[in-house]
Amino acid sequence: MDFINQYLLTILILIPTIGAVAIIAHQVFWKDESHLKWLTLGVTLLNFVLSLLLLGGAQASANGFSFEQNSPWIPAIGSNYHIGVDGLSLWLVLLTTFIMPIAVISTWHAIEKRPLAFYAFMLVLESAMIGVFVSLDLLVFYLFFEASLVPMFFLIGIWGGKQRIYAAVKFFIYTALGSLLMLVAIIALYYLHLQATGTGTFDYVTLLGSISSGSLAFGGASAYTGTLLFLAFALAFSIKVPLFPFHTWLPDAHTEAPTAGSVILAAILLKMGTYGIMRFNFTLFPEASREMAWIFIILAIIGIIYGALVAMVQPDVKRLVAYSSVAHMGFVVLGMFSFTEQGMQGALYTMLAHGVTTGALFLLVGFIYERRHTREISEYGGLSNVMPIYATVFVITAMASVGLPFLNGFVGEFLIMLGMWSSTILPGSWNQIATMAAGTGVIFAAVYLLWMIQRVFFGKLTNEKNMSLSDLSLREIGIMAPLLFFMVFMGVYPKPILDSSKPSVVEIQRIVSGGTKGGTVTELNIDGPEGR
Amino acid sequence: MMNIFLAELADPNVSIPLVLPEMLLAVTGILVMIYESVRPGRRRVTGTISMAGLILSAVALFWIWSTPGQQLSAFGGMIVADSLRMSFTAVFLLVSALTILVSTVWVEREDVHAGEYHTLLLFATVGMMFMASGNDLVIIFLGLETLSIATYVMAGLRRRDLRSNESAMKYFILGSYASGFLLYGMALVYGATGTTNITQIALNAETAQFPALLLVGAAMLVIGFGFKVATVPFHIWTPDVYEGAPSPVTGFMAAGPKAAGFASFLRVFVLGFPLVVGVQASEFLHDSWITALTVMAILTMTVGNIAAIVQNNVKRMLAYSSIAHAGYAMVGFVGAGVAKTATGRDDAIAAVAFYMLTYAVTNLGAFAIVTLVARKNDRRTEFEDYNGIGFRSPVLAFSLSLFMLSLLGLPLTAGFIGKVLVFRPALEAGTSLMVILVVIAVINTAISAYYYLRLIVVMFFRERTEEWSEPRISTALAAVLAITIIGVFYFGIFGNNVIEMFSKYPVDVQMR
Repeated sequence: MDFINQYLLTILILIPTIGAVAIIAHQVFWKDESHLKWLTLGVTLLNFVLSLLLLGGAQASANGFSFEQNSPWIPAIGSNYHIGVDGLSLWLVLLTTFIMPIAVISTWHAIEKRPLAFYAFMLVLESAMIGVFVSLDLLVFYLFFEASLVPMFFLIGIWGGKQRIYAAVKFFIYTALGSLLMLVAIIALYYLHLQATGTGTFDYVTLLGSISSGSLAFGGASAYTGTLLFLAFALAFSIKVPLFPFHTWLPDAHTEAPTAGSVILAAILLKMGTYGIMRFNFTLFPEASREMAWIFIILAIIGIIYGALVAMVQPDVKRLVAYSSVAHMGFVVLGMFSFTEQGMQGALYTMLAHGVTTGALFLLVGFIYERRHTREISEYGGLSNVMPIYATVFVITAMASVGLPFLNGFVGEFLIMLGMWSSTILPGSWNQIATMAAGTGVIFAAVYLLWMIQRVFFGKLTNEKNMSLSDLSLREIGIMAPLLFFMVFMGVYPKPILDSSKPSVVEIQRIVSGGTKGGTVTELNIDGPEGR
Repeated sequence: MMNIFLAELADPNVSIPLVLPEMLLAVTGILVMIYESVRPGRRRVTGTISMAGLILSAVALFWIWSTPGQQLSAFGGMIVADSLRMSFTAVFLLVSALTILVSTVWVEREDVHAGEYHTLLLFATVGMMFMASGNDLVIIFLGLETLSIATYVMAGLRRRDLRSNESAMKYFILGSYASGFLLYGMALVYGATGTTNITQIALNAETAQFPALLLVGAAMLVIGFGFKVATVPFHIWTPDVYEGAPSPVTGFMAAGPKAAGFASFLRVFVLGFPLVVGVQASEFLHDSWITALTVMAILTMTVGNIAAIVQNNVKRMLAYSSIAHAGYAMVGFVGAGVAKTATGRDDAIAAVAFYMLTYAVTNLGAFAIVTLVARKNDRRTEFEDYNGIGFRSPVLAFSLSLFMLSLLGLPLTAGFIGKVLVFRPALEAGTSLMVILVVIAVINTAISAYYYLRLIVVMFFRERTEEWSEPRISTALAAVLAITIIGVFYFGIFGNNVIEMFSKYPVDVQMR
């Protein structure tokens, strides 16, 4: 048990990859494709169960990270294999391990082409995603960040829809370009640290220490350097989020990806961007973050409104959900850049809620697509008559996405708006104006989702092809059940998550806001459900 | 009489061990040639002898490398044993050995006179080794000519194919022309400094009587070496020669001679024309060649990548990609030139060597598969020929994908560590020119994603319409694939050992 606790994160990273090798070996020796999905499911479930041990949690060390492991990787380059979790990354790791088994079950009957390669790529992808969230060495982080591209590229390219090649290549090149500039910034940081302190390092904790002790500073004369580095990191993450105007890869990738791919993309991959901004941009370049905040707030608001408006006119359900992601991730960015505790907690909470809800929406779209092989809204209508359970589940999920109170979407968005309202990052009343502008996004969200629900589920059943549709199977209900549970649970009782993420988020908030508390809301003491 | 010989042997300037790797390989080459004339047409025997020679040479090299207290230079300073020589020589030996293994497929398919081919390959390797070990312009030129003449012939080995003839002819004429430039440059440098020894050139540059002569000489050298490593604008020959030459030879040319060119190029410029602060001639010369090479690096990467995008032939794509890679390596080269400390400079040199190693391993792996897929007469080398083979022959397709991702420089592969290493020294310098250079290099990397991914796309994402029978993977080729795949991962994950080895014997030239 000690062994497991000591190396828990490494084990979590390695299990899926070992699982991938195992299923390939299984196929080579036994040549029986019917076992593959069971094996994959077993591996992902095992990883989920093991990841729950993170909650039991060892004590965090002085730097705020627990389950740390730090050993040299390439000393000649100065990179260490340094991993650990704090309140911020813990929940994203859990989200990853939670979504993966669900994504695997969703493929049960959908993947008939090359199941071996499909499941192997899924497992490798899981390893990379966990690695991204736990890396505390910038080079190792970059490594996992890029490594997650390849399996996703294959997942979209081989098992995707008609435009899959275009979507896969666009996805890869967009993301690669951003992250390569980040690599330059990472190497530059190494040398700036070398010049400032005499030792070069890629280690996040060491860099943070040097910045907080003032030995490595991006203020004053080197503010320009700080801004450039900030932008290099921010570009990589903004493309991943995706922030308007870097979002154009997302609708294509989402729409063309197989259902499981869309689920993972929406639920986890997008979070890498917002996680990266919060983890690296805010703490390494606090001055530049404050200086540039207005740009990101404006882009986030444009994203919220633009995403919602474009979602409204989509004839394709999956594309609609994809654009709703742009809007939701805009909210997350807005909350982060409010630099208040509420806003940032809300951002983290929305990341988790969006992971669950949008993942669920893509699954639901997948269910109907498997039955009818079309996602055109106009092809449907009156589905609630033949698929009552499906309609119920869909409406609940959509409500969670809209942000109905007592469902998970509400908590995060409410906190974000609260945080933004009380923020002091923009001059004067612009903070409040920004909040109100973002607030319209919630209304638009209600419009596009409810309108879509109306057209798909209600009214008369007109299309003959829909007459004989079967309702959700037990397997499909089984997939949705845990997701629905968390939509409700996170909506009514957010305290455990918010409490456990609080120390880490407060620490990041303290660093990024230059040691001062951001807004005035702290006096209202609204940081949990009691406050409301 | 005897005494004279003894006196000569006792002369500390003569050191047989120091040239043992070169000697062993040259002797092997002669043996193969003799064997071929006595019993012609026994490919396996000549191949085995060649491999044995390469292994012996490698053993000798590692013996010098790992024996402490070695003499660092011999033969009046003409031959040196520093990390630059050792690491590049290791690359050459690996390239040759892999090329012999890759060639087995082609040699048997086309019924080539293998003995001649193996001899040429060994002599080419000896030439490359002298280019790395020579600390004298004359030795470097001799090495380069030995290499070039052998590769001219190798490019034309597919005698009955017009493209191969064109390839050899073009390479020969343009190569000779470039050698002329190189030799002229060497003569001018000699005229200006009064010596051909590179360490001495660096010292004499301060008191050079004709700084302009030195500058023109250096410019000529840039042209000559620029041709050999195929940098823009001296790259025009590359695509045609690479496309026409037999696939294994193309792989060899892209990995070996290019690395050899870099070895001499680095030694002559970084060590021969260093920055000596306060000496106007030296400052001007240093500034000029740094600027020239920076511009060439930017052009080389950009032109190479953009041209590679529009290619429909895989060999041509790889040819342009090799041009782009020369550009990335030059980023490290320039970084070595602007390094402020001797350690920084040596690390940068080691970085370029490591980059060439990762490129060689990856590229030869890719060419092994290209050779196999090409079939008789190298006919099937278009992108279309790779349509949908992904799941028909998963081993080949996944290996090729891995090599493409490594060429792209994705983490966990050798290419990633190589890129990080060559970008580092330039960023360490921190001047805005260097930062721009690195930024252009990474933008180019993103551009290159398009054509590397294209091969993966056609293999996996497209369907095959015509028949496809999986080519048989021979033992030799399986060995190549195993070595290169392990190499790609080993250098990418555990590269540390190699990097440390590569900077073990720092260059014996102090910074001033």
